[in-house]
Amino acid sequence: MIEEIFHIEKHTYKDSFIHRLDARVKIILAFAVIIAVVAVPYSTIVYTVGIIFFVFFTGLWILSRLSPVVYLRRLGEIIPLWGIVIFFQIFLKNKYYTEYHAILTLPFGIAIYSESVTFAFILLVKFIISISFIILLSSTTKIQDMLEGATRLGLPADFALVLGMMIRYLFVFGYIYRKMTESLVTRCFDAFDRKLPYRYRIRQLGYTIGTMFIRAYEQGERVYISMLCRGYGRNSYLFVKKKHLKTGDLAFLSVSMMVVIAIPVIVWLAPLRLI
Amino acid sequence: MHIPDAFIPIPQGVIYWIIALVFVALALRWAKNEMSEEKIPLIAVLAAGIFALQSFNLPVSMGTSGHLVGGALAAIVLGSPFAAVFILTLVLIVQGVLFGDGGITTMGANILNMGVLGGFVGFYSFKGMMGITKNMNISIFTAAWLACFIPALAAAVEMFFAGTFPLIEGLIAMGVYHALIGIIEGLVTVIAIRLIIKARPDIVDIRDPPMKGVNV
Repeated sequence: MIEEIFHIEKHTYKDSFIHRLDARVKIILAFAVIIAVVAVPYSTIVYTVGIIFFVFFTGLWILSRLSPVVYLRRLGEIIPLWGIVIFFQIFLKNKYYTEYHAILTLPFGIAIYSESVTFAFILLVKFIISISFIILLSSTTKIQDMLEGATRLGLPADFALVLGMMIRYLFVFGYIYRKMTESLVTRCFDAFDRKLPYRYRIRQLGYTIGTMFIRAYEQGERVYISMLCRGYGRNSYLFVKKKHLKTGDLAFLSVSMMVVIAIPVIVWLAPLRLI
Repeated sequence: MHIPDAFIPIPQGVIYWIIALVFVALALRWAKNEMSEEKIPLIAVLAAGIFALQSFNLPVSMGTSGHLVGGALAAIVLGSPFAAVFILTLVLIVQGVLFGDGGITTMGANILNMGVLGGFVGFYSFKGMMGITKNMNISIFTAAWLACFIPALAAAVEMFFAGTFPLIEGLIAMGVYHALIGIIEGLVTVIAIRLIIKARPDIVDIRDPPMKGVNV
């Protein structure tokens, strides 16, 4: 996973209206959409809310001038594991329905229920909308800007300092991870090669992981000593300058928040159903 | 094991967030008092390293793979369950916000499962097993296995409460899969900690009676 950080960060250096928005605006928008879509009850109104939010997301993605391939590739990396869990919902009963109607009966008492299929789609819609806005946020906002934005939004200073340091060293360990995996490849080591004894493979992985831990700890020691040399102490904290939102940012945030709040409410109150 | 958004309703997500935040605050206090505040940068860099070592794919069986959670590893080496809570909270925030692995509304549940439960189960089962067996390898293996297995069961129970997965099926699916991954996590953690003890005995915070299975 850590190697993806280079790809993700690369996209954040592009220039577009969305990239130029203040990080706070994007953080609030992404979190608001996720909370809104998760807060919608597990019913078919999620379809309508989901479609409108996805159209909204598509508009923002077009404005970000990033390729749809970037989005699809990242979505493809995230979906498989939980996609399977969502798929299995079609065989299961849950507390949200009282009656179940089998649409297909399989051997061993397994059946696919109409209500379970509906529930699986509801979960899928909520899941995809949530992930899409996280992808938008992380593909258009530099990690450092995101941290500063979170700090200005009230992330505790102690935590911001630690998180900032961790983020900075993610890139260092991304390179270290790449070097270690490359050296394993040059020694023809493949953890999934069945020709190699399993015990040998596990031992090599254990040594590699142990080495990574030691390298991380020693890097931490060096960083700590270097910081002490530069005056770091008990009362040090991450200083983030105060910055007011620009008029354009405020206008965009206001309109977006109105959309995010209004859509679920309108769909809930009015008989508006796209599906 | 990272529960994504949509699998837990907002009210339950808020409860898990509150519980998780209590432990995060305690972990921050531990870092200030026990590690001495100046050493917090060391933990931050270590968290980045733990994130990197989670990227190594471990062969489980029949072509499936898993990866190390690292909660037991951090708790045992640094000598406190709060080390795992602290480090895994940082890791889970980055995974959730940057990579979409885990969710925002479910992050409290994920911190609770992997950070709090993983850290505490890993650390105290290690202590308990050391007291009983006096064998370091068995103790580390058991601790790492439980630190992988118990949080997976907790995730299944949370999804049952959320109504998004039945209890028995969830416990079986999550339990069996993570019991298998836990074996690999246990073996790899034993080898990794033995290596750390040999290479850097000064950083391992184990204050138990003389141990079998390791020669420092």
